[in-house]
Amino acid sequence: MIDNIIIDGMSFALPLFVMAIGGIYSERSGITNLALEGLQGFGAFTGALVAYCLMRSMGAGSSVPYWMALIFAMIGGAVYSLLHVTLCIKFKANQVISGVVINILAVALTTFMTKTINKKVFGAPSDKFDLGVSARITIPGLSKIPVIGAFFKSVYPFEFVIIIIAIIAWYFLYKTTFGLRLRACGDNPHAVDAAGGDVAKIRALAVCVSGALSGLAGICFAYSISAKFSGDIYMGYGYLAIAGYIFGNWNLLPSLAACLIFGFARSGGYQLVQALGMPSAYSDLVMILPYVLTLFLLIFLSKNNQAPKALGETYDKSKR
Amino acid sequence: MTDQNKTRIRVAILSVLLSLLAGAVVILILGKNPLTAYFNLLQGCGLLPKGKYGGGKSMITDLSSYIDFLTPMVFAALSYAVAMRAGLFNIGISGQMLTAGFIASITIGYSTLAAPIAKPLVLIIGIIAGMLVGSLIGFLKERFNINEVVSSIMINYIVRYVISFFIQTKYVDPVSRQSKNICDSARLTLHQIKLGGYKYDIPLGFVLAIIAVIAVKFMFDRTVLGYELHAVGSNKVAAKYAGIRTGRSLIVSMAISGALAGIAGVTYYLGYFASIQPKVLVSTGYDAIAVGLLGNNDPVGILVASFLIEIIQNGSAYMSSQSGLESEIASVITGLILLFSACNAFFLEKLAQKKAEESRKKGAKA
Repeated sequence: MIDNIIIDGMSFALPLFVMAIGGIYSERSGITNLALEGLQGFGAFTGALVAYCLMRSMGAGSSVPYWMALIFAMIGGAVYSLLHVTLCIKFKANQVISGVVINILAVALTTFMTKTINKKVFGAPSDKFDLGVSARITIPGLSKIPVIGAFFKSVYPFEFVIIIIAIIAWYFLYKTTFGLRLRACGDNPHAVDAAGGDVAKIRALAVCVSGALSGLAGICFAYSISAKFSGDIYMGYGYLAIAGYIFGNWNLLPSLAACLIFGFARSGGYQLVQALGMPSAYSDLVMILPYVLTLFLLIFLSKNNQAPKALGETYDKSKR
Repeated sequence: MTDQNKTRIRVAILSVLLSLLAGAVVILILGKNPLTAYFNLLQGCGLLPKGKYGGGKSMITDLSSYIDFLTPMVFAALSYAVAMRAGLFNIGISGQMLTAGFIASITIGYSTLAAPIAKPLVLIIGIIAGMLVGSLIGFLKERFNINEVVSSIMINYIVRYVISFFIQTKYVDPVSRQSKNICDSARLTLHQIKLGGYKYDIPLGFVLAIIAVIAVKFMFDRTVLGYELHAVGSNKVAAKYAGIRTGRSLIVSMAISGALAGIAGVTYYLGYFASIQPKVLVSTGYDAIAVGLLGNNDPVGILVASFLIEIIQNGSAYMSSQSGLESEIASVITGLILLFSACNAFFLEKLAQKKAEESRKKGAKA
């Protein structure tokens, strides 16, 4: 039972974390990003569409569709995030409104396109792309260790990808000039400008990173929890990721802790319902656990939190 | 009408036209005639006559059900506007609607009270329930500095799952899989009333919606509270130094916003519908943001904008049945309207610049 809590918890927490990394990049550069939810959905849509097409031509046995799906989900998320870039930087829209608008549009666009493409291209009316659950890997040796071994048992391949990306993202954000400039854009964009950096370009890049990482998270959810792409992908995980990095005070490692708490709360709750043999309606009550936990964590932690100073402000050169 | 208002209206009309154009391109790509599709939208709302009608139905039947559908939207959009006035983004309208609808259903909807008592009670309970949820969000923002967007979305999910748990364990109708229908005496819409051979839905809430529009307009323009909310929304620090109790203003605006969302909830779940579908948050709360943006947060503008958006939403079912387009195209067009209206600050600025340049040229000539 503890094994299951760890396995399911990790496979939920890691995609959430990679999305939170994207959010941190965007917000540390000074662009409020409530669009994570829509970005992960749109990324999952493009990834699932590519995988679905490939699966039809290559058969279900091949692992190529899976890896292509991950890549195209990142591309799709990044491309869709250009909308947020355009609205926030070029059109100087309110960033909160822009984020919410992008989420609403993503839900509408992807459900509409899924239905239309299924009907027109594949000739089978359906509101989803079936993907199946991805294969799992068990590392021999390490998985035999009691309790901790569960971390190496039945691992989804995307979890390794996420860990590698997380390390690279950490290095870039904290150890490179680019990362320093990015963080400075969120606190004092005028200083970056004076030092010869291009604020608009850095911010645009940061939002694209958040789009790509959210897209990756989206396709991970599609390949694990839901085993398909459909409107069900919009479960508010994007907002959970936001709560995660607010809890983590816009830093990577504390955000990881928050995401792990969400993941284990969720999987622990499910195991509890099963262990006690409760009817399925009770799983609805368990579903609220991560959300309730988020609220309580925020109550205790928001007061002392320090958001990036220039967060949500459109950069205006003339105000320097 | 001032010049500024004129440009605002121009920008709003522009964004609607742009999105209808974009929608038309999509429809063309799918090989359908966009004009027929848009014509079908109007027919579905009873604003244009259909080719043929089923028994006991007429154009007025469609129109009455369209007004019935429109009523919750007016309240929801007003709710968005009141919060926005104080600079708060209430994205929890759907959750507040659901809470109000559910509590009113189980307390009054399943009781045997007579209509003259039941209907006002439904309304009052809806207001109180919505107000409590709304002010909770305001309180969390004021006391603990929690971003209202995050907290209201968390509350949306919590409310959705908890209520679906209660519906499925206690109030479920085994056939429809929804909550049991409430009794007619508590319903805020007079459902399927026969008049002169045709059936109509008469939404009592619509009268209230008009009153609410006037009341909110009065509150915004003529009261101290409206001024305070505006001050807090424009510049919180300045408002604080001017002696306005900003924390109180935030909570009050969320309480009023929640109360309006509560009325939207009871007119939706105990008016347009008579039952609640578990696990679903209605899109009204999100469409209300489109309406609010398009109507520029002005109560009268909102009334006009909600007429427009609801034509697209309500007529989409008929359009889908006539032209074979997926009804989700309605949400896509609404989303596009949102997208264009979100840029309105940019357009306004451009137009203002153009005007300033023109007047400078005039000045130079003189």
